[in-house]
This record gives sequence, structure tokens and C-alpha cells, in this order.
Amino acid sequence: MSLLRYTLWRLAQAIPVLIGIVTITFFLANQIPGDPVEIMLGATPAQEQVEAIRARYGLDRPIHVRYLTYLSGVATGDLGLSIYYDRPVLEMILLRLPVTLLLMLSAFAFAIVTAIPLGVISAKRRNEPADHVSRIVSLIGVSTPSFWIGLVLIIVFAFHLGWFPARGLILPWADPADVRGAATRLEVIRQSAHHLFLPMISLGTLQMAQITRIERSSMVDSLQGEYVTLARAYGVPESTIVRKHAFQVAQLPVITIIGLGLSTALGGAVLTETVFEIQGMGRLIITAINNQDYELIMGTTLVFGFVYVIGVIITDVTYSYLDPRVTYGDD
Amino acid sequence: MAINDTTDIDDTTDVGDGSADGDDAGEIESRVGIRYTLKQVRHDTTARIGIYIVGFMTFVAAFAAVDYYLLDYAIAEAVWYNPETDPDRVERLLPPVGMENQFGQGVLEHPLGTDHRGRDLLGRVVYGTRVAMTVGFMATTIGLTGGTLIGAVSGYYGGWIDDVLQRATETVYAIPFLVLVIAFMTAFGRDLRFAMIGVGITAIPVFNRLIRSRVVSIREEDYIEAARAAGVKDRNIILRHVIPNSFAPVLVQATLQVGVSILIVAGLSFLGFGAQPPTPSWGQMLSVSRGYMLPAPTFSVFPGIAILITVIGFNILGDGLQDALDPRINN
Repeated sequence: MSLLRYTLWRLAQAIPVLIGIVTITFFLANQIPGDPVEIMLGATPAQEQVEAIRARYGLDRPIHVRYLTYLSGVATGDLGLSIYYDRPVLEMILLRLPVTLLLMLSAFAFAIVTAIPLGVISAKRRNEPADHVSRIVSLIGVSTPSFWIGLVLIIVFAFHLGWFPARGLILPWADPADVRGAATRLEVIRQSAHHLFLPMISLGTLQMAQITRIERSSMVDSLQGEYVTLARAYGVPESTIVRKHAFQVAQLPVITIIGLGLSTALGGAVLTETVFEIQGMGRLIITAINNQDYELIMGTTLVFGFVYVIGVIITDVTYSYLDPRVTYGDD
Repeated sequence: MAINDTTDIDDTTDVGDGSADGDDAGEIESRVGIRYTLKQVRHDTTARIGIYIVGFMTFVAAFAAVDYYLLDYAIAEAVWYNPETDPDRVERLLPPVGMENQFGQGVLEHPLGTDHRGRDLLGRVVYGTRVAMTVGFMATTIGLTGGTLIGAVSGYYGGWIDDVLQRATETVYAIPFLVLVIAFMTAFGRDLRFAMIGVGITAIPVFNRLIRSRVVSIREEDYIEAARAAGVKDRNIILRHVIPNSFAPVLVQATLQVGVSILIVAGLSFLGFGAQPPTPSWGQMLSVSRGYMLPAPTFSVFPGIAILITVIGFNILGDGLQDALDPRINN
């Protein structure tokens, strides 16, 4: 099977999982106690008003009809109406999703860029001081709650030193006219990076620590491989061995751990967005929950699941692209 | 649990006899089971440090639990504070002893200072240990039990049972777990019980995978074949051979999972899901402290350090167990 066909096959496999996610979120959302219409109209609304709203949002129909309607809606890209915002759910999500994706991608970029050198150095200088430092850093990294890192970063770098802003996020492609103190595109990008820095570290530290640990153990294994011994016997310089022979093979487990880390990072985004008051998907789901906005809760949960599934597929495809031993879809 | 009399076959020997029987030497000591594990752990420095930290935290949690459930804060009040009710003499947001902020000077009776309602911070942090440890252990127990059952049944029987169970857990796994728990708690209840259950459910796929892969490989072993031939029931084979032989990796994973659960529940409490005030929990304390980061930064620091130390304890212990139990890494 070619890589393209493998990719399509993986995408097709995701469909039942996505239907499963829709089902779980739909029935969870329907378990929520309380009446969204009541929240919307106050405690003593007029009867016809209630019925009009119920009919508008389809709340007057039986549950299985609503489930099937919702499912077919999702298939056509219609996620319903947000009662709280009085706008289509999809519109709200498309507004917020780029913010969360930007945060996620920068966090992973930060994690990969710092973790790989750390892990390699650690493996190369096994049981030397550099290794101990790197191991302690990654141990603390996997043991610290991301939101607390955010709080400490705000206290130190925003309040105490005043180097970075404590809240908000600016998209690099935002219109310069909408961004305060920015006249040019370059200014917008600079401000965006400035705002992104602390949340990126807050969200990326856990991933950094996990990748470092895997990179280290994977490199240690790889450096003990027979091909490395052979290369050494041929007199290949040690730096070339590390860079070429050992490094490439060692990256496969790292890709796996990045895929697995996506779930944690998406959850972490909810926390990071709360700490830094960033209006992304995480804040959207919390707002939806606090206002019992069924459709918005379902929509955001579904999109979180969707982003994760797509992320896992991307890592799987990358994996099989990099590892010639993988035969596509034989099982 | 009814024990089938045919299981007498292995009653005279340790659970690990199977793997030793596979090799022909009679002298090989058992490499699985609790006794072997404990022996190995005693020789591993990292694991020992982990045990000390976890032991200390368990002690603190037990102290708080005894004081809370049996003595009605007698000990806490004897040292003048009650961690859950407002004190008579309100000294809000005092800094730790030896420090100074706009609210006053740190005093020895409040070594870590006071919170926004004048309650002793050390007392709250100590009482938070009870919540964290309970939640960590309970959530892990739920995940372990559920995951073991599903994984063992799935791996042992294979076929369509395997397919259905695995697709179901994969779907649960496809929703980022923090988002899943939030949706779950919105549906069923925001208090600590549902946090434990929710986090427990998200841990099921982890243990399921681990157990299932072990079971699939163990299923083909000769001694399982022998047990089956001797007429041992499937249920007893799973309970008495398959699960005990998966003991080592499960123990490692469970230890790490307690730490992960504590982190997730802290995150949930930070978002307002989980322990509700006035019950002191670290996540909820951090959530409140966000409002006072500028005037009283130390309020945000200590609950976070408590989380960090506890989770580090479980991580070190888990890593140590892994090193101790993996014969490949010995020395």
C-alpha cells in the first residue's frame, strides 16, 4: 500500500471513532441537569416564549430523533446553534480554534527544540553531571502542573520583572488595525510572539520533559546497537555516529510519544488558557459548561476529539514515512 | 471470590513458577510477584527515595484524615487554626515567616502565611494532602480494576469480544482526557467523587492496553496450556496466572498513574471541578490564589510545591520500580 493510500485508510478508520465521540458527548450533554432555556430566560418565563425557544433549538423532540439529527448535522458540518452566544457553534469554534492550535503548535515546537538536544546530550554523557541535570529537569517537568508553571511565570516574568504580558494572546495574522500599538504586520507578529512566550512554556514544559525522557532512553538503546559498534569499528568519528547512525533510528519512539502527548496537551490548553485568560477553545468549553449551552459543549468536545484524532493520524503517517520497516495496513 | 479446587495445582508454589518452568533450570528464582519486587526495590536508591516521599505524604494525609474524620479538627485547633472555617482573628494574606508584604509581616504561628480569608496556609496545604492522596489512589484503583478486567477478558478471549472492547476503549481514549472528565462531571456532578470516577475512567485505556498486550503473549505460554488441559476454568486462569504474571509492569504504571491522577484532579479543581470550598484542595487553593498574585505571590507558590513534591515522589518510585523490575536494565 502506498503512503497516500495508507493515509486515506487511516482517515477512514477515524470515522467510527468520530461517530463514537459524537455519541459519547451527545449522551453526556443530555445528562446535564438543569434547563438551558431557564438559564436563558430567567426563572419565570412566559410559557409560549419557552416553547418558541425549545422549538427553535429542537429541544422539544425525543432524544433519539435529536441524536440522529445531530449526527447528520455533524456530517454536513452543522454543529447546531449556541444558545449562549446566539450564533452557530461552528462559527464560534472556527473563531477560537486557531488560537488554541497556535498555542499547541508553539508548545510542541518549544518542547521538541529543547528536548531533543537535552535527551541526546543526556544519552551521550550517560551518568555524567550533564545527564543528571537533564534527568532532574525532566523529572520536575513531568511532575509539575502546567497551570502552576503558568502562575509562577506570571508572578516572576510579568508582575515582578515586567518582561512579558500576563494575559491575552494576539494572532500573528490579525489585522494591524485591530491590535493596539501595532502599525505594521511585523509589529503584530512581534506582539504575538511576546504574548505567546509564557503560555508556550507553561503548556510545553510537560511535553518537553516527556520527550527528553524518551529521547534519552531511545538514544541510549540506539548507541548500544550493533550498527553503532560496527561504525565505531570502521573508525567513523563519534560525532558522526551520534548525529547520523544513532540519531535517526532513535527518533521513532519520540514520534510516538508526541502523538500520545497530544491528549495531555489539549487538556493542558484548557488550563493554560484559563491561567493566561486566552480566548481559545479551552475557555469556550468552560463558558459553554458554565452556561449549560448543550450544543456548544457537544461541539467543543467533539472538536477537541477531532483535533486529537487528526493529530494521532499525522504522527502515525509520519512514523510510517520515517520507518521503512513499517508495512502499511497489514493487520 | 470462589476459588476453584483445581487451582490447587499452583498453590504450593509462587505465582511466578510458570516462567521458571518455561526454562529448564530448577534453580532460577521467581522474577515476578510481590516478594521479588520488594527485594529488588530495597536495593534501588531511586526507588527508596520515592518510597520515602510517598510514605511521608501518605503519613501527612493519614494525619489529616484522622483529624478530620475522627477528631473533628481537635489537633488542628490545638495548634490554633482550623483549615476549613474562618479564624476569629483575621489576618488575610500574611506572607511566610521572615517575609513581608503589604498585609503585614510573617509570623511564626503561620509559617507559610495565611490565605485570603486569614486561614493558616500550612494547615490548608496539609489538609490538601488528604484530598490529593485519596483522589490519586481511588482514581488509580478504578482505572486499574476496570482496565485489568477489560484488558484481561479482551486479550484472553480475542475475536469479536476483543474487537468490541478495544474499539470502545479507543473511543474513550480519543477524547482528550481533561475535556472528557469535565464533560463527565458536568453531566453527573461537580464534586470530588465524580472527579475520582472520571479520572479513573480515563485511566482505564492505559491499563487495558498494558494488560491486554501481556495477556496476548502469556496466553500462548506452555503453562497456560497445561492449566487449561488440567481443566482449570478460564476465569481462574486469568485471575491466578495471567494477571499475577503481569504484575511488574502494572505496578510501575499504577504508581505513575497515582501521580498523573493527582495532577489531573489538581487541574480540575483549578477549573472549579472537584473539591468545593471550604474543603482545602491544592488545585482549588491555586485557583483562588490567582486573584492575589500581585499583592501576595507566596499564596500561589506553596500549594504548587506540595503538588510537585507529591507527584515527584510517585514518579521517582515508578521509575525506580521499573529499573528494579526490568531484568534488562539491571546494573
